[in-house]
Amino acid sequence: MSPIPIGRLLRANTTGCDIGCKVTQGSTPSFGDMVRIPLTNHNQIYGLVYDIHIDDDGLVNQLATADVSREIIEDNRQNRNVPVEMSVVFIGWEDTHGKVHHTRVPYPPLTLDEIFPCDEEEVRKFTQDGSFGYLRIILRNLELPAVDLVTAHLRQVLAARSGIDADQALEASLGEVIAMLKDDYPQLMDVLSAVSEIL
Amino acid sequence: MTLTDNDSMLHPDDPQNTPIGYVIGGGLKANLFVRLTRPAYEVQEGGFVVLESGNWQFYGLVTDLQLGAADPRYAEIQNRERLSAQVTQLLASQTLYTNLEVLPALMLERGPELGTEEYENWRKSLTEEPRPLPIKTVPAHHAVARLASAGDVAEIFGVPGEGANFEIGRTREQDHPVCIDLEKFVQRSSGIFGATGSGKSFLTRIILAGLIKHNAASVLVFDMHNEYGFDDTASDTGKPVVGLRTKFPGRVTVAGLCRGSQIRQHNPDLHLEFNESDIQPEDIEMLTRELNLRETTPMTLEALVHTFGPDKWFHEFKHMINGAVVENDEGKKVPAPDSVAFWANQAGVNPMAAEGLHSKMSRVFNLPYIVEDDPNQKTSVNSLKHIIEALKAGKHVILSFGDYERDLDYLLVSNLLTRKIREAWEEVTNQFRGKGGAEPRPLVIAVEEAHKLLNREMASQTSFSTIAREMRKYYVTLLIIDQRPSQIYDEVMSQLGTRVSGWLGDENDIAAVLSGLAGRDALRGMLARLQPKEEVLLLGWGVPMPILVKSRRYDQAFWDGLLGKESRRDAAQSLKELGF
Repeated sequence: MSPIPIGRLLRANTTGCDIGCKVTQGSTPSFGDMVRIPLTNHNQIYGLVYDIHIDDDGLVNQLATADVSREIIEDNRQNRNVPVEMSVVFIGWEDTHGKVHHTRVPYPPLTLDEIFPCDEEEVRKFTQDGSFGYLRIILRNLELPAVDLVTAHLRQVLAARSGIDADQALEASLGEVIAMLKDDYPQLMDVLSAVSEIL
Repeated sequence: MTLTDNDSMLHPDDPQNTPIGYVIGGGLKANLFVRLTRPAYEVQEGGFVVLESGNWQFYGLVTDLQLGAADPRYAEIQNRERLSAQVTQLLASQTLYTNLEVLPALMLERGPELGTEEYENWRKSLTEEPRPLPIKTVPAHHAVARLASAGDVAEIFGVPGEGANFEIGRTREQDHPVCIDLEKFVQRSSGIFGATGSGKSFLTRIILAGLIKHNAASVLVFDMHNEYGFDDTASDTGKPVVGLRTKFPGRVTVAGLCRGSQIRQHNPDLHLEFNESDIQPEDIEMLTRELNLRETTPMTLEALVHTFGPDKWFHEFKHMINGAVVENDEGKKVPAPDSVAFWANQAGVNPMAAEGLHSKMSRVFNLPYIVEDDPNQKTSVNSLKHIIEALKAGKHVILSFGDYERDLDYLLVSNLLTRKIREAWEEVTNQFRGKGGAEPRPLVIAVEEAHKLLNREMASQTSFSTIAREMRKYYVTLLIIDQRPSQIYDEVMSQLGTRVSGWLGDENDIAAVLSGLAGRDALRGMLARLQPKEEVLLLGWGVPMPILVKSRRYDQAFWDGLLGKESRRDAAQSLKELGF
């Protein structure tokens, strides 16, 4: 379990949240990575990063055209006035007994709650029952980049497993995807094509 | 679909209970549809399937397999280039499928799960053992389908060797024995159909052997092509084919038509001849098409019987001279007293019609097996009587036509003999019912080329149609063997209890075999796609449900199975049995 938070929560509802992070490339989650948000009542929310945006501020606008030293550029990158924002979609939660639920979270996290990246063990725990029904949250949400997000997420899921375990996870997850999208041929083929790229 | 929930209803230890799919829809009229969860090649048209639904078990026949796709594009576009092999396989398994069309036929209550309290209570509530019933309802959605096990087949078609059960073949996929109940088989007329070369004769031999062995009925075979009595050679393989007389020397009598005839270089047990007095007008009327008789024939024949009586008319007419004239006192030529025209004038019949009939009947007059009445009754009457008595006594007779293979011989002799038999059985049955005599021995008359005797024009004139329609009550039924069932009169076809059909190519023939049966639309395609040899469809009243079987081979293994050690006994034993 990673003890180092990657940022704090800016805004949230029961479907997702935005978090603000410092720019530390090494520990910053990538697109599609799973993150967790521990709550004060020992519950924990799981989500996937589906967008990362780096907004400008007044100083950056000036520096963009100014003739400044390398140190000043680097200082403005690392010590930004406006944090890097990440958008997260919630895919499930864990109750106080450690049971994982692939349903909508009962209540959203609070502002400034800490966000942690999920390690492989946590990814395995979230998908350990072989059920990937939570993928519907991604596939049914028209505002999400569903194809790329599912692909990135499955890459992380498969990386957390090996051998037969990985094969079973792939079969179960794609089975769920096919079952959900078989009436939407173009979308399904896009997902499967993208997944084929990572195999 | 995951079958885990429903699998618990089966017996997972039994590999034969492996589910093959689940019910997705359908009905009694439109058949049931089953989504196949196994590769399509594991199930074939005609497969016998069982559907488990609650406390009931449904039995049906696969009548069609249909490929389907969740979206036509999944079937139309191959994605091997675009997707990885693993993903392609996953996609195909979930979006491409095969549906079975199942013709439901029977249902059987099997009660709650074995070993439970509910099961015990259900058993106690039964007044009689549950038996398969004609289907009245449908299984539920997602009811598990599986191929029938040996136990299922035995439940429906009986256990081989038990009672009158006779194994006629085996299910195609799992090779389970399928039986017909011979006692039921002989209760109504039945038919064996199939195109030329589809194995009708072998199948007939097998069934006849079963009837003879089981002794369910006496059998009279009109063996037009001399195939059934003595050993023969198969026309297609050239291999020897054992005759029924060879295997049942003490129980089968081979009669040859006409004095001195030989059947396959063997002397028959007796020679059959007819007295002229045996020939009746109806025997001649039945030859209308063969002799090209006119509409005036019945009137002329009636006049002959009126003039000479039923026993003498044939003899007298035969000996009339056609066209003989004499000069009268006035020097005019008039019909001679022994001429046909003379009699016609006397009897008030059109002379030209009488002369025409006489001319056309010359083919009958010249038949060597119709002989003048012998006052001592040393020959002909005895042979006919002998056949009837043998049949009454429980023996079996194969009437071989020897060299008399023309349609004329076949039509005349078979109808004449059948008429005599019909009269004899009616008499015995009436005695049994009215005067407490012995119960008649059931008799099966096997008729080859049946359409020649039972076509629309002839059916009303022959004894065969009467037997097919009415003689069940008199213990006589027909076994019709034919390659053109569409030529057989509908009314006769509708009376057939058991129908055994090999491959048929003609649509009309297929429709005829299926006439009057439920689910005939579903069975039509199956009949057209049977293997040309050794695959037959069992249908009709005589079998609990339609089923496709690989028929048994008529070989030494068949005889070993039927007769055991008896089948290999030597010639000396056979002769001893014959009394030599």
